[in-house]
Amino acid sequence: MRKQYIAGALLAGTALAGSAIASDWGSFDGVTVEAKLIGGQQYEALYGRIAEWEAATGATVDIISKKSHFEIDKEIKSDMAAGTTDWCVGSNHSSFAPQYEGLYIDLNGMVPEDTIAEFVPGNIKASTVDGALLMLPRAQFDVSVLYYLKSNYEDADKAAAFKAEYGYDLAVPETWEQVRDQAIFFADPPNFYGTQYAGKDEAIVGRFYEMVVAEGGSYLDEEKKPVFNSEAGQRALQWFVDLYAAKAVPAGTTSYVWDDLGQGFASGTVALNLDWPGWAGFFNDPESSKAAGNVGVAIQPMGSVTRTGWSGHHGFSVTSDCPNKEAAVSLVTFLTSEDSQLAESAGGSLPTRTAVWKANVEAAQNGDDPYRAEALAAFAAGAEYAFAVPPIPEWGETTNIVFPELQAAIVGDKTVQQALDDAAEAVDELMRESGYY
Amino acid sequence: MDRNRTHRNRKRLFRLLHLLAVFLTMSVICIPGLWIVLNSFRPTVEIMAKPPVWTPSFTLEHYRAMFGGAGEGGVPVFDYFRNSLIVSVTSTVIAILIGMSGGYAFARYRFRGKSGYFVGLMLFRAVPGVALSLPLFIVFARVGIIDTHFGLILAYVAMNVPFTIWLTDGFFRQIPKELHEAAEIDGCTRWQAFWKVEFPVARSGVASAAIFAFLTSWNEFALASQLTRSVGSKTMPVGLLDFTAEFTINWGGMCALAVLMIVPALILTFIVQKHLIAGLTFGGVKG
Amino acid sequence: MTRRRLPEWFVLLLPAIVVIAAVVLIPLIFSLYSSFTPYKLTRPSTLWRWVGTYNYEKILTDAKFWAAFGRTVLFLTVVLNLELLLGLGIALLMNRVTWGQRTLRTILMFPMMFSPILVGFQFKFIFNDNIGLVNNVLQSLGSDAALPWLVDGRLAMFSIMFAEIWMSTSVFAILILAGLFAMPRDPLEAAKVDGCTPWQTFRHITLPFLMPFIYIAMTIRSLDVARAYDIVQIMTGGGPARRTELLWTLMSRTGYVDARMGLANAMGYVSILLSILFTIYFFRKLSAARAEIGMAG
Repeated sequence: MRKQYIAGALLAGTALAGSAIASDWGSFDGVTVEAKLIGGQQYEALYGRIAEWEAATGATVDIISKKSHFEIDKEIKSDMAAGTTDWCVGSNHSSFAPQYEGLYIDLNGMVPEDTIAEFVPGNIKASTVDGALLMLPRAQFDVSVLYYLKSNYEDADKAAAFKAEYGYDLAVPETWEQVRDQAIFFADPPNFYGTQYAGKDEAIVGRFYEMVVAEGGSYLDEEKKPVFNSEAGQRALQWFVDLYAAKAVPAGTTSYVWDDLGQGFASGTVALNLDWPGWAGFFNDPESSKAAGNVGVAIQPMGSVTRTGWSGHHGFSVTSDCPNKEAAVSLVTFLTSEDSQLAESAGGSLPTRTAVWKANVEAAQNGDDPYRAEALAAFAAGAEYAFAVPPIPEWGETTNIVFPELQAAIVGDKTVQQALDDAAEAVDELMRESGYY
Repeated sequence: MDRNRTHRNRKRLFRLLHLLAVFLTMSVICIPGLWIVLNSFRPTVEIMAKPPVWTPSFTLEHYRAMFGGAGEGGVPVFDYFRNSLIVSVTSTVIAILIGMSGGYAFARYRFRGKSGYFVGLMLFRAVPGVALSLPLFIVFARVGIIDTHFGLILAYVAMNVPFTIWLTDGFFRQIPKELHEAAEIDGCTRWQAFWKVEFPVARSGVASAAIFAFLTSWNEFALASQLTRSVGSKTMPVGLLDFTAEFTINWGGMCALAVLMIVPALILTFIVQKHLIAGLTFGGVKG
Repeated sequence: MTRRRLPEWFVLLLPAIVVIAAVVLIPLIFSLYSSFTPYKLTRPSTLWRWVGTYNYEKILTDAKFWAAFGRTVLFLTVVLNLELLLGLGIALLMNRVTWGQRTLRTILMFPMMFSPILVGFQFKFIFNDNIGLVNNVLQSLGSDAALPWLVDGRLAMFSIMFAEIWMSTSVFAILILAGLFAMPRDPLEAAKVDGCTPWQTFRHITLPFLMPFIYIAMTIRSLDVARAYDIVQIMTGGGPARRTELLWTLMSRTGYVDARMGLANAMGYVSILLSILFTIYFFRKLSAARAEIGMAG
């Protein structure tokens, strides 16, 4: 991944050197901005740019915490409990944002409207809770597309056998129905699997949620009442159950989360894999992946109504207790600026600004890396269908109720209907307790 | 003669079986650990390979990346190592001093409710870290010692004191009282008598308590992940998570850092090995 | 002048008491209080609403909680006993080794160098059903099974127990080995002269002598079994379908992810009680065993 994009990074680097001077980030001499940032390889490159903002404004940034995704969430919740929230800038995520009630300020009014308008509207919508813009999105937008092994579609014998069995041509799947057929067709356990899915925690609930939507149902209704046990919901869950029962997915799939899935596809033993943009480079890098050179990327398939598109993105927020909000807002705006997004997305992540999307897609089309162009095109098309999780503080808690029930149905402890009814009943109780109805 | 030979053969067979058993045991103990060490020297594509690659190739890539810059796979190894070292060593030394004084009190004085105090102290060690981490965080946050070496050291001292008391108590008990009475008659103060007479005898016990305390602090995660935040205080077990991102994990890199964690602990254990066994022998039981 | 009146033993114990009070007692009181409130991390004001025993009633009538409780007791019982047996076996083996003892003992302690969180990651990969070491070995040996180690109810419990046992058996082995080293030679010689079989010697002389060491090891281990939380959390997170849910994973998910600290602390107290019961049980056994071989003090 690194090698491939170094050229891109250099390009973006020179581009921003010219424009950084032009922007005015304000002057905050002697101000110290305390920040809590998400750590991890793919997030770190951006932080190298902080020095530039410091030089432009005279302020200093003190990174008082750097932790991985779930650890920093835990830390911020602990901070809220202890009342130690007088730091200024925090990493945020669209799925976590609604939980931090009252922690962060509304950036509407703090950030010029035309700046906000430069972001992808869907991302701004997903960053807004009850009308308050809680974070500015950084170039870490996540939506899943379909990665597949190309060789499976270049084999005439396979194509003929498939057509004989299923009655239609073997091609990269357009619908989840086809994914099921093909996954079962390709599978040869324990050596090769048709597909795989995240099997626990929020991950599987997210996957289930997007399938429910793709089948035309919803997770919660207007009143926040759980309705995922509808017929659409049952169809959605049935898809997971069928694949598991047919052994088309690894038997361990219910214990997998993202890292296991990515490593599994990289081992070259999985035919179809719905996965995140962070893996694009990894999958096609011979240093890390056996599938390198054989990876195709296509837009995510459809359910019976629409395409799946569960999405989320990272961003930065400013706390209500921050002593110098202007400086903090300036830093957040800087970290999500066009130059910053160009630099960050050069590492392979997806931007959240319209102009940067355009620039990246163009650059990839004109570049000499067809794989990167293919991946970016797929993500650009996939992003059109992106939707966020319900913006309520209880989202995370509902997933903890729902995922064991989904698992129970998948491994056959319960029927699909029973599992969903049990889950819905428990979520209903939670929503009632939380005072929604 | 004949009987002798069968006897000898049986003995030889028995020795062979014993060797085999030792070897098998050691394998089970070592293989999962060595697998980590091995993986730190293998390219990622091979670690996760299927079908598996049984003849490993060798690369220092993970180590090179780990010491490299941020964003290129680098983590602040030296900071983490320094933090771990400072916290573990300091907390071990303090826990030993406090524990020794407590152990001495239990061994040398009679007072009411002694066994109650003793069991009480032990029970505090039984509180699961995960149940303790948040309340502890809130208290520490109020006092303002979050993200400092001091806070973590304090927590580890409290964790390690009970076990130290236990071991040293046993040791001091087996030293005859007459020994230090004689020293006092010779004109030593009680303090001098302690250092000159009793401490040297208890040295092994102290060493074994120390290695247990050190290993506990060196490897502790649940509290450290809550009480540390920036590179200024994060310890190596917390640093392991730097290799995970929202969707990805860098297993090879994690193994490389793990090796850096294991090696110092292993060397230290080897050095104090002799004292360790002696310390446990007398400390625990003869109480 | 009160200082004068403090007895010496108390002064000596004072640092220990102060540190433990500061780090354990005060937080424990706080969490005890919060277990009677609907305390939600993200809504600090909820700390001041008293709901009495609501949280306790809620968990005590929750079948999922009792399932986790039962599983935790099962986990502790199996794990501690197996660790004891294996540790005893290893110690007996090691005791007969005549060369390279120091090195072998260091190797024996190898797993103790591993942070529990690392052990979790390690066995998660080793037991991965698709690309894990165990299944790879099995498949290379000709089996075509991809055993779902972390998914199948029994296998998953086995896997987390295996990881825990791998990490902690050393503690037993090393303590029991220390006991064997302290063993007086005379009774063993006497038994030989009297014509006892090796088994009789072990059963009637060695084992009773080792009992206190065994109980010490048990007590020490029961003090920090909750370290297994890190392992289980990473390997299975209590899943799938709650098949490996232990009190600790349930508690941390409720407390941190759901942010319902009040409820989690109520669970915490039940788990603390459980740890304390285990510890006291072994303490009593220890005193009894000490008395039996005349080492009571």
